[in-house]
Amino acid sequence: MKILIADDSRVMRQIVIRTLRQAGYDDHDIVEAEDGADALAKVGSEQPDLILSDWNMPNMSGIECLQALRASGSAVPFGFVTSEGSAEMREKAADAGALFLIAKPFTADTFTEHLDGVIA
Amino acid sequence: MTTTDTGQRRRSSDHRPLIPSLIDEATVLSIAEEAWLALVGEDEVLVPLSVELPVDIMSSWVDVVGPWTGSVVLTTGRCTAEALSRALLRESAPEVLEIEDVEDAFGEIANVVGGNVKAALTGPSSLSLPQVGNAPVVRNPADVCRVDVVWRGEPVSISVQGALPPLPVLRPTPQNPLRENEVPL
Amino acid sequence: MRALVIDDSRAMRRIVSSILIGLGYEIRDAGHGREGLDVLDEGWIPDLVCVDWNMPVMDGLQFVSAVRSNPAWRSVTIMMVTSESEHTQIVRALAAGAHEYVIKPFTADAIRDKLALLGLLPQEVAL
Repeated sequence: MKILIADDSRVMRQIVIRTLRQAGYDDHDIVEAEDGADALAKVGSEQPDLILSDWNMPNMSGIECLQALRASGSAVPFGFVTSEGSAEMREKAADAGALFLIAKPFTADTFTEHLDGVIA
Repeated sequence: MTTTDTGQRRRSSDHRPLIPSLIDEATVLSIAEEAWLALVGEDEVLVPLSVELPVDIMSSWVDVVGPWTGSVVLTTGRCTAEALSRALLRESAPEVLEIEDVEDAFGEIANVVGGNVKAALTGPSSLSLPQVGNAPVVRNPADVCRVDVVWRGEPVSISVQGALPPLPVLRPTPQNPLRENEVPL
Repeated sequence: MRALVIDDSRAMRRIVSSILIGLGYEIRDAGHGREGLDVLDEGWIPDLVCVDWNMPVMDGLQFVSAVRSNPAWRSVTIMMVTSESEHTQIVRALAAGAHEYVIKPFTADAIRDKLALLGLLPQEVAL
């Protein structure tokens, strides 16, 4: 499976990658994007099977990226990994077409909980 | 005239909530602890203790704009910020840390702490991208919730501070009479 | 009481001015920060300035910094008028010395309530 990780923080992208490994999802191709615009471009060029995206990013936010994807007819599975985990944010995420929202800080168990149905 | 008036006039809808009425130190500490455990390491400890910060300090913060507007600011010594970044990067930490790595990691901790503080406040509010540099000045000392901790022997300060200046002290005048539900001076 | 309304949009200037006139203010307006400073330089010192953020020639941030760096204008209260998309600028504006902010679209009541908290309501107009 090819997973696209979008976050403007390189450190956070590393943390997501290592947490995926800790959660047992270690046999997948990883593509990184540093903002929503980069993520959008890479969906086209890399055709990922899943997107894990931060919310707040420069140039284009995660929610804007998701909205652009859905508007263009893309149904690629999309989940947020963000520091804001309020009910209101989850609702916004779901309304825009996200499958889940993982709040930071997260553990490997959190990843397993949310990703088990999504990643084979 | 002696008065304990803080200069804040509250209407029944309370337009200017101050942060101590919205979140307490225990909650901020618990948010910081969770962030540290997940990002820095499972065995990390934050001791709630106020120790003087060194001279060479660095801050990272995020801004919250909403019913309450202000910043969530982390401040620590430059060396400690580097140690934090190294801990976040773990195996992928280079021999020599670039300033971008430190700003990235230290900024991301502020993002996680700030995002969770924001989620604890009555929304809806928006969160800014993290910034790193000299801490924003405290505009209203009554609108601050600050927690000082010690991490691996070094001081780290977490300050949730409002951006609005204190309201002026109002006295009733013919032009500005106090309303019905005002407490007279 | 005097208010200076600064916005590069004439429609916005008219909207804000009419709310403030309704509250009893005497109004002057300007199309950008530089013009706003010219009004203060004349000696017409307002009690309140409602200033937009994105303006040509001199924007809201530059205007706020200029006003707050002049001790002769210390009595001026500055309220920033901003749109939803400029959220991230709000804390920066406050740090530069603005006292309050209001987000478009706003109601007359929202402005009135903020001015009341600031003690900046002229004698109430009888309805």
